[in-house]
Amino acid sequence: MSTRDLVLTALFAAIIVALGLLPPIYVGIVAVPITAQSLGVMMAGVVLGAKRGSIAVLIVIALVAMNLPVLSGGRGGMTALVAPTSGFLYGWVFAAFVTGFLSERLVNAGQSGLVQTVSFFLAAVIGGIFVLYPFGIIFAAIVADVTLQKAFLGSLFYVPGDVLKAFVAALVGRAVMVGYPLLPVRA
Amino acid sequence: MQSLYLEGNSALHRLSPRAKIFSLFLLGLVLFISNNIPLLAVVMLLTVLAYRSVGMPKKESAARLKPILLTIAFVALVTFIVNPWHQALATLLRLTALMLFAAAVTATTTIAQFMDEITTLVRPLERIGWVKATDVGLAVGLVLRFVPEIIARYHAISEAHAARGLKVRPTTILTPLIILTLRDADNVAAAIDARGIRRHVS
Repeated sequence: MSTRDLVLTALFAAIIVALGLLPPIYVGIVAVPITAQSLGVMMAGVVLGAKRGSIAVLIVIALVAMNLPVLSGGRGGMTALVAPTSGFLYGWVFAAFVTGFLSERLVNAGQSGLVQTVSFFLAAVIGGIFVLYPFGIIFAAIVADVTLQKAFLGSLFYVPGDVLKAFVAALVGRAVMVGYPLLPVRA
Repeated sequence: MQSLYLEGNSALHRLSPRAKIFSLFLLGLVLFISNNIPLLAVVMLLTVLAYRSVGMPKKESAARLKPILLTIAFVALVTFIVNPWHQALATLLRLTALMLFAAAVTATTTIAQFMDEITTLVRPLERIGWVKATDVGLAVGLVLRFVPEIIARYHAISEAHAARGLKVRPTTILTPLIILTLRDADNVAAAIDARGIRRHVS
């Protein structure tokens, strides 16, 4: 990995950590609080692509394993790795990878802004929801000893929030690409 | 950023990190294979003893255990509703035992010890050529160094919003935050290469 890629990856991991430490941002007329850390994971895929985005998340997990309270709410250490919700943490790696993979393939510089934003949104939804949730659901079903069906129903509560985050990730991803394009160009 | 390690001199503090992590996963295995409630209760009491042997001050202990025990209570409540009572009780005992031991391991192991363990774990991958062990240390160091900068930048952008009378929205604050942070990457990478820190990359 080139030094520049390593630094980009590490700095984005720092962004994900920082987003866990900052207070939630309020969105919309109804003032929905968005805890930005999972948003950070989607953005890692959208901004950095598959390889660097997923490695950024791996670095964050390594920090958690190293006893640092980097997850939102000051969580960290072994307890964050074996809790019922830890499946979502491990799933973040694959979510960032898929989001990045799709972003690299679907988006290029020649498209209009709207097409780019929609493509990023699709990448974020497929990675951040359809790939992520099975990891969280299966892990929770095993650890909490409930059926997959019940774990699935329990997780549906979070979907609207995550769709909103995917939308934000798409807008930010597009804006960042205009200002500082980083996705590997696929001809 | 403060680590979750707590100073002390208990038996767990003196045990090697590898032994502790291995015990944690062994414990997890035993807990999840077994359905025997008396056995689970005994194991849970042992983990309570292990946790108390760490010698955490009550306030710190309460602060750390509160979110974990709240999650466990919530899961236990849900499982009581959807599962037969003995299954729910087994889940409650399992999760409490696992969480208490995990918290004990967390409180008795330093960052440096974990760092060494991770580097050792990564070495076999080095032979395949996937990753360099020193790169892991470099990446972790970079993250720790830059998190305070990113937070400071966030506050600066936030104040700039306030100065212009704008509300802080995700798109207007995250975009400049990310772009400015990633622009630093080129300078940092040049500095790293200039110092020859990554000698294996020419």
